[in-house]
Amino acid sequence: MIEVILVPFLEAAVRTATPLAFAALGELVAERAGVINLGLEGAIIAGCLGALVASGVGGPVAGFAGGMAAGIALTAVFAFFVVDLRTDQIIAGTAVSMLGLGLTGAIYRGLYGTGGAGLSISTIAPLAIPGLSAIPLIGPALFRQTVPTYALYALVPCLAWWLRSTHAGLALRATGENEEAAEAAGAAPRRIRWGALLVAGAMGGLCGATLVLAQVGTFSEGMSAGRGFIAIAIVVMGRWSAFGTALAALVFGAAFALQYLFQSLGWSLPYQLFIALPYVLTLALLALLRGRATAPAGLGRS
Amino acid sequence: MSGSDALVLRDVRRSFGRTVALDGASCTVRRGTIHALLGENGAGKTTLMRIAFGLLAPDAGELWVNGVRTTLRSSRDGIALGMGMVHQHFMLVPAMTVAENVALGGRGRFDRDATTKRIAAIAKDSGLVLEPESRVADLPVGAQQRLEIIKALAHDARLLILDEPTAVLSPSEGADLLRWSRRFAAGGGTIVLITHKLRDALEFADDITVLRRGRTVLAGSRGGVTETQVIAALVGEAGPALHASRPSPMIPTDAEPVLHLDGVDYVDARGVTRLRDVTLDVRAGEVVGVIGVEGAGQHELLRILAGRLEPTRGRATRPARVGFIPEDRLHDALIPELTLTENLALARAGAAHGRLPWEAMRHATTGILRDLDVRADGPESPARALSGGNQQKFVVGRERHLAGSALVAENPTRGLDLRASARVLDEIARAGGSPPPAVVMYSSDLDEVLAVATRVVACFNGSVREVTPASDPEDLTPYARALLGAP
Repeated sequence: MIEVILVPFLEAAVRTATPLAFAALGELVAERAGVINLGLEGAIIAGCLGALVASGVGGPVAGFAGGMAAGIALTAVFAFFVVDLRTDQIIAGTAVSMLGLGLTGAIYRGLYGTGGAGLSISTIAPLAIPGLSAIPLIGPALFRQTVPTYALYALVPCLAWWLRSTHAGLALRATGENEEAAEAAGAAPRRIRWGALLVAGAMGGLCGATLVLAQVGTFSEGMSAGRGFIAIAIVVMGRWSAFGTALAALVFGAAFALQYLFQSLGWSLPYQLFIALPYVLTLALLALLRGRATAPAGLGRS
Repeated sequence: MSGSDALVLRDVRRSFGRTVALDGASCTVRRGTIHALLGENGAGKTTLMRIAFGLLAPDAGELWVNGVRTTLRSSRDGIALGMGMVHQHFMLVPAMTVAENVALGGRGRFDRDATTKRIAAIAKDSGLVLEPESRVADLPVGAQQRLEIIKALAHDARLLILDEPTAVLSPSEGADLLRWSRRFAAGGGTIVLITHKLRDALEFADDITVLRRGRTVLAGSRGGVTETQVIAALVGEAGPALHASRPSPMIPTDAEPVLHLDGVDYVDARGVTRLRDVTLDVRAGEVVGVIGVEGAGQHELLRILAGRLEPTRGRATRPARVGFIPEDRLHDALIPELTLTENLALARAGAAHGRLPWEAMRHATTGILRDLDVRADGPESPARALSGGNQQKFVVGRERHLAGSALVAENPTRGLDLRASARVLDEIARAGGSPPPAVVMYSSDLDEVLAVATRVVACFNGSVREVTPASDPEDLTPYARALLGAP
């Protein structure tokens, strides 16, 4: 009985957490370089549309590439303003997110009409890993997922290692802590921030692509639904570490998945309550974790 | 261009907007020597060396490194040519470890073990020892400076540019550093010492270059120039009195103390006892000089007197507002982005309410600028537009303006030139107002303390005791003994 309820819940938690984790890990890279990428929401929605359009032309692989390219393109606008023109990060980020949300809506309607009956594609199928997926309870949750989730499993330790054990990772962290010191040591903070933001854009795009190609199978206006902002909160909750961020993403995935659990338990609560839950959780956790920040010292300074 | 010259700068010019920082500065640094670069604040010493190191591009002029004419595009180029620069405000990442700071700027995989070995090898060669895994934020200032030098040595620097290196060190640490510099030069290394401490330059340097207003006004070997010539070159006119000196005023010993500590202990956040059983009275009109080596407890003593810290045990009686001139003005006393008027208004933020009387604030700011001879465009110029000396003079003026009865100052001349130092000390010691304020001043320079203090207390290992001067005022033995904790 417990399996019948818990397995689908855990599976949904990991599935929902995957795109969030991509976006949050990208945000982590940007923030360790000292930039708050509030344009992330825009990169995600651009990734959604980019993935949908590209997959229609060249299948799922092209879809993922298209999503990432769209995310990079939009974040490059943000990077130009923030790194080259040194404008305020919060304002530039908000503007880029608005731009992404507006532009994708306009393009979508231009391409597929205003009827709303948009293009629908078949989502990629989960891939059960023989053996591992047979582990009770967590087996199906962790190892009966789509390819992006497995890519995520590999990405988290790689990113943690890269940040800790390469000179490039060290220079990135130094840029986020004390740009002047990084420059005096011979690192190139501007190039590092550009690079970090392009990675953040690609990861935001990947988040959107995963949403469309692995979960929803279509595009709707505003479908990113605040995931960019939640991802920023996830980074705070994850204490700016790769593993912490992945874990925090899982907590949020579980919050999204709770609605399935409650429905299967037969609780008849208004559905708006479940939809609101992740956002309430964001606020609650930010309040709880307040004051214990170990944020990069130079975060947000243009 | 002789091959034995490590660094030659010739007729270098550089402007920032409409401000001319360098207007034909030249400097020839021989290999294997200590070269002192002297000049008042704003004379262009740091700008010239930033150009030599590749952090700034000159508008005009020539740069020769090891006999070869070069153009540097960034500090990476300077490092590649065997230069290292220790900035006055350290270029360290406080959240990272010693090893990570040393490795910063490299390429490829960051190998912790190799870095640790490198640090150990440098310690063996140079005698500069640091624990590779300590966090920089936890290190005292002297150790952070050591780390800056280790960083440069890790990149095989043979020419070290030290920007005001002794400004933050206690006298004995400063002497250690200069002795170390001597050994480094004896081993074929080269040191450029940017300093305003005439004594350091005359005692330790082989060659001296003096800049004034962006131009080289004196260059020669130590034996070839006299102290008078150097002072004349520095200030460009009849030199001001090095230090304010004043007779001890008559202070009635039965007057009520303005600042009063009674059996004060202070234990910091990490559980270390910083002060134990401190009793101290400071009366109106007194200037109590505080001496102590780094970490002896003076940092906490001053902050308790100023009302910035509360004692863990014991009693501290202070006026509602005590003027405080902290050591690190850019972090603790000023918000660089705000205007001077706003910085004045902000200092009352905790006590004042309601509408801000901007007109009065501007008026008061103008008064401070005038009274302390602060060089600024006006009350509306941002604090960061001022040179270090002018920022400090502004802070002194503000604190005196806001708190009439008590003033606490910590290394108030850090990084200032002779003229600005004398001016700041004079302002601190000047017993203006009626009744005159009670003043407490700590300085890592004993001469400064003796120049202004009416009596001296020494911190040693958390205890504070009065120093009884010797009958001969020139005899400094009692102070030296007090600094070392000897009875």
